[in-house]
Amino acid sequence: MSLLSIRDLTVRFGRFTALDGVNLDIQSGEIIGVVGESGSGKTMTALASIGLLPEGAKAKGDILFDGRNLLALDENGLGAIRGDDIGMVFQEPMTALNPVKTIGDQVAEGIIWHTKVSKAEAQTKAAFMLERVGLPLSEFPLDRYPHELSGGQRQRVVIAIACVLNPRLLIADEPTTALDAVLQAQILDLLRSLVKERNMGLMLISHDLAVVASMADKIVILQNGKVVEAGPAKQVLRDRREPYTRQLANASIYKPDRTTRPVGAPLLKVANVTRDYALPRKTMFSKPGHFRAVNDVSLNINEGEMVALVGRSGCGKSTLARMILALHKPTSGTIELGGISVNTENDAELRTARRNMQIVFQDPYGSFNPRKNVEWLVTEPLHLLEEKPDPAEARTMAAKVLTRVGLEQDALERYPHQFSGGQRQRIAIARALITNPKLIIADEPVSALDVSIRAQVLDLFAELNANLGLACLFITHDLHVARAITDRVLVMSKGRIVEHGKTADVFDNPQSDAAKELVLAAPDLAKVLTS
Amino acid sequence: MASPKRLTLAKNNMLRSALRNPAFSVGFSLTLIIFLAGIVSFFWTPFDVSLVTISERLKAPSLTYFLGTDHFGRDILSMLMVGARNSIAVACVAVGIGLAVGVPLGCWAAARGGLVDVVLMRGNDLIFAFPALLTAVMITAIFGPGAVNAIIAIGIFNIPVFARVARAGAMALWPRDFILAARAAGKNRLQITFEHILPNMAHLLIVQGTIQFSLGILAEAGLSYLGLGAQPPAPSWGRMLAEAQTMMVIGPHTALFPGLAIIISVLGLNLMGDGLRDVLDPKLSRAK
Repeated sequence: MSLLSIRDLTVRFGRFTALDGVNLDIQSGEIIGVVGESGSGKTMTALASIGLLPEGAKAKGDILFDGRNLLALDENGLGAIRGDDIGMVFQEPMTALNPVKTIGDQVAEGIIWHTKVSKAEAQTKAAFMLERVGLPLSEFPLDRYPHELSGGQRQRVVIAIACVLNPRLLIADEPTTALDAVLQAQILDLLRSLVKERNMGLMLISHDLAVVASMADKIVILQNGKVVEAGPAKQVLRDRREPYTRQLANASIYKPDRTTRPVGAPLLKVANVTRDYALPRKTMFSKPGHFRAVNDVSLNINEGEMVALVGRSGCGKSTLARMILALHKPTSGTIELGGISVNTENDAELRTARRNMQIVFQDPYGSFNPRKNVEWLVTEPLHLLEEKPDPAEARTMAAKVLTRVGLEQDALERYPHQFSGGQRQRIAIARALITNPKLIIADEPVSALDVSIRAQVLDLFAELNANLGLACLFITHDLHVARAITDRVLVMSKGRIVEHGKTADVFDNPQSDAAKELVLAAPDLAKVLTS
Repeated sequence: MASPKRLTLAKNNMLRSALRNPAFSVGFSLTLIIFLAGIVSFFWTPFDVSLVTISERLKAPSLTYFLGTDHFGRDILSMLMVGARNSIAVACVAVGIGLAVGVPLGCWAAARGGLVDVVLMRGNDLIFAFPALLTAVMITAIFGPGAVNAIIAIGIFNIPVFARVARAGAMALWPRDFILAARAAGKNRLQITFEHILPNMAHLLIVQGTIQFSLGILAEAGLSYLGLGAQPPAPSWGRMLAEAQTMMVIGPHTALFPGLAIIISVLGLNLMGDGLRDVLDPKLSRAK
């Protein structure tokens, strides 16, 4: 008998069908990957499996856990199973932990609740579990608070909470999406070894086919709440029988066609830039210490060049980008764009520099003022022009850039919330293009997008580079994206640029430790499937 | 710009969803009653409020005097209607002072940070350290009782409240990506504050405004109860209560109705504030 068996599960919210006849089985010691794009019902499947469907959801069908139907159980019955027999790991380690409780208490909480042991005993078990997930007592005493830990360490605590009672089924909803590639590899290793050691079932929910292919025994592919295909993971991804499977797999290894352009004139010159942040004072009278976010960085970008800046989270990538955009001031060093210093106090010079560089952000939801319409938002950078166009001219220009990024004219009067994530990212690119800049700094522009949308946005960047000769600094932690779209790569680690060179050369034959670590950790679908 | 038709459509939807919220619609109706009473009193009241008819003193509510008469024989309904005018005016201007001074200070503190922020916010704390009503008593005691001084006294204590709300709202917005984009578009802090910060925290200010409004009405009633608000013969709810105090046994209605008027307006405004918060903050309504 299966450990978890979902039969014909249909979940409705009013007229909207979130899940439509889903079937799924998990055996003990087996890893099932549940894959799909946003809105496909992945998370709903997970929530249904642990009896946490949101209010208003109407579920039909059976969810049999060890022979008991979870849909028939009341809140008390579910409470006894949750945490004890079924553990859950959430995507966002920042919000999954209670910030005012120590990690020891949070791990022990479930033990006390479910097994009624004394607090001391629970703490001992908690310490043991934290040690198992790689947080030894000597370095991470039980009285640490979540904010004293890094993202990866917090995710380890979440896993410890989920696994401390030896659950028979673990549900992990995008457990590594918020982490960088190196941490992702570590957390996946941890999950894999826990499954093996404790003979747990694992439902691994992910949008990343490479992750699922390397982890899962079986795969379930969801689209619009329906199971499109299910079977042994590698075989399904290798054969790609269903068109949708093929589409997903192709999109996740997608590379836009692009020809390497001849290198143009030097455009951006960053020389010996350093940025310090003041740390809080240790005592009221001591001098505040410094944290060096960017340390003596020099780089050049030529016109029409696509350059990637890769590195682990917290390595100083975004700080560097903000200094180039003159949003932060460097502590020392110079940044010049087309011969003009961006750190100038001269307003006219700064406007010229700013006109020539624009930014595209990672989060397509946060990068627009929700109360302005698209026309207003897209024309905002026109503020930088010497002669401001009149409203009619501005409107024509906005319409032109929107067409340029593949959106309809009627988008002008609509508001950001009326667009999907991919469309919003196009609007963000349109906003960046309206001043005819020479350089676009794109801070993780595709990492929040579904794979098929990601392919389209990458295409757009490649096309803009080819036809407009736009230079681009692509900040990313996704080596595949870097490889797909850039000519050159800069590897950053702990505030320094430790390696640079042609993208393919660096990734095929990394020299520095930081680059080696990144390349080794990066999930690669093609490699997994051929192994 | 959006076509005007689309804009009115959006506003209509907002109003409709607001009226679907029970707290808002009840609060809105109660508030509307008080406001209408105040407005109508400009043109018409059942009796002249300064008409003293000793023979008609302390009459219980009847068809002639809907809410009865006070110890001078004045019609209580008429006095309440004119008193509403006074309460509303004081609260309005007091909230206005708070908004006009507090919001720019809060926005400035959030935009500049550093020393400006520290100095402004510690100044705020200093004002907060004074008990509001007692200080209002002190101000009116020094500068003389009267509606204008009451307004100023209440208004001053609204400044730090709005400064705090504005600063907290603005601080949460400044690190957002769309603000960075505006900065990359070369806009200065003032322009960003007007175009991006204020529209996105308007809901915070509106909700705080309704709550401060009700507190203003209470404070005005308190001051005029002590004889420090509007001066006779202008009627005011607080003084009606004070005068009714000694008549409680023979004419309980003389205290009951001014008290009810205060309760209805404060309750109405608070309910409206609660409802508005649910309607204007999409995060809360989605959680429901």
